[in-house]
Amino acid sequence: MDWLTDPFLLGFQQRALIGGLIAALMCSVVGTWLVLRGMSFFGDAFVHGVLPGIALAVVLGGSPHVGAAVAAVVMMAGISLVHRATTLKEDTAIGLLFVGMMALGVVIISLSDSYTGSLTAILFGDVLGVSMEGLRVQAAIAVVVVLLALVLYRPLLALSFSEAKAGVLGMRPRLTHSLLLVMIGAAVIGSFQAVGTVLVFGLLVGPPATAALVTRTVPRMMAVAALLGAASVVVGLVLSYHGGTAGSATMALVPIVLFFTVLLARAGAQAARGRHVRGRGGRAVTAPEFQHAHHGHDAEGGLPR
Amino acid sequence: MTSPPAALAEARGLELRRGTHLAVAASDLTLPAGRLVAVIGPNGSGKSTLLHALAGTLAPSAGTLTVRGESPERHARRTAFVMQTVEVPRGVPLTVRDVVTMGRYPSTGWFRRMRPVDRAAVQAAMDRMGVADLAGRHLDELSGGQRQRAYVAQGIAQEHDVLLLDEPITGLDLVSARTIDHLLHEEPERGVSVVYTTHDLDEAAAADHVVLMAGRVVASGSPAEVLTEAHLEAAYGRGALHRPTPPSAGGAVPFLDDPVDGAGRR
Repeated sequence: MDWLTDPFLLGFQQRALIGGLIAALMCSVVGTWLVLRGMSFFGDAFVHGVLPGIALAVVLGGSPHVGAAVAAVVMMAGISLVHRATTLKEDTAIGLLFVGMMALGVVIISLSDSYTGSLTAILFGDVLGVSMEGLRVQAAIAVVVVLLALVLYRPLLALSFSEAKAGVLGMRPRLTHSLLLVMIGAAVIGSFQAVGTVLVFGLLVGPPATAALVTRTVPRMMAVAALLGAASVVVGLVLSYHGGTAGSATMALVPIVLFFTVLLARAGAQAARGRHVRGRGGRAVTAPEFQHAHHGHDAEGGLPR
Repeated sequence: MTSPPAALAEARGLELRRGTHLAVAASDLTLPAGRLVAVIGPNGSGKSTLLHALAGTLAPSAGTLTVRGESPERHARRTAFVMQTVEVPRGVPLTVRDVVTMGRYPSTGWFRRMRPVDRAAVQAAMDRMGVADLAGRHLDELSGGQRQRAYVAQGIAQEHDVLLLDEPITGLDLVSARTIDHLLHEEPERGVSVVYTTHDLDEAAAADHVVLMAGRVVASGSPAEVLTEAHLEAAYGRGALHRPTPPSAGGAVPFLDDPVDGAGRR
């Protein structure tokens, strides 16, 4: 038991735990929609895109949160400009801004005296250096993000189904998409101090992607993602403490390892179930039998495509 | 108390564009209310574009269009629109019940809780389309026909007095096509105006009213008035249409040369 509690005895360790848990909750809720909307590349670019704003704040001594917010707005405006002013697809616009903003961030931070230390802290966070003030800001952002996610549940579900259909249903798909971008930005800005900008991405994508493997509805996917995200933070901090590894990086690594573990376990279970079904009676199961066994009565009597 | 307008839709000098492309050139059109209206025409003739305009999702570039006496946008909450192709969103865990429930969103908006009347409407829509026992299934676990019935159920779950369907039966299995075809003919009996697009002239001949499109409204009226050789050749081109080969015709396929009556007989 001491093995589990020792990493959280001191104040800074407890703040690290709380900061990580808040980040996990925010990222899981937002990340679920990010994954369902197929916007993972945007999320990846976005977490790099806030770098110059934070870097400028570090160099000039301003608020990193404000710097990140300004950089986020600039990045989204840039993507929108390229997308509207050219025939290039959105992923090209995202790629251009991704590289440009990250390079600009590194250039700015290289002007500071502690180039390597500052860059590492921004990219990979400093979970053990989370302050009470930082926690308060993070908690306030988390409340806004979770409330927004609740309010936007129907529009986001309709948007994930079909953008055109969401419009017909009066769900304002463009406004909804813009608000989702705000939520992603808020989650990144609210989490980067604890887990760093790059590693926020691990919490944004890892737990929701894992949850998608084992759930059948969006609310359950979100709930399971939040639990997996929280578990990743706790396990990551415990492993980091005992293994002497970097806290933020270990935390971000856990959900990715978890994803592939669940994926392999699921594939193994499916293969075993297939062998069991084939083994019964020594013959292959017919399509109608399979249909009846797995889905009950089918009005059409046909197999799903 | 004012009585509802006799016409479902009135268009005067209606012109519709998709970006810079002129999809429907200036046309006049009157569609009857509470009837089954079939819109026919070759691919790219403006059928789907007309439906989008009636649904209020595409504003006319010129002319006027009203639905039940008001602008299509204003009437949109009571216009159910089943679109032609909604791709199955990969990886999104949407069940049939989730999809059909979305049909209530125009009434509930972003926030209002689902009431018993909403849940009853969803269940009734699934029952009518024969997908109630598939309610817990994901979209990607359904056949094409089952999925189309779920999308139509979403449309009729909405509070509506206008139902628009874009090629609802094209390429479906017999059970799904029959279920949707029954619905098309039942809805007008409930006072709902139905407008749907189709490539099947026999199907169109069984409608109350037919609109023939070819980048404009070529003809609009009863099947007997619209499905004539002259109109069909104006829309499809000469030689594009043939009568079914009679058993005794020895393989000869004559041109369609006589009109089709309202019951689909030639």
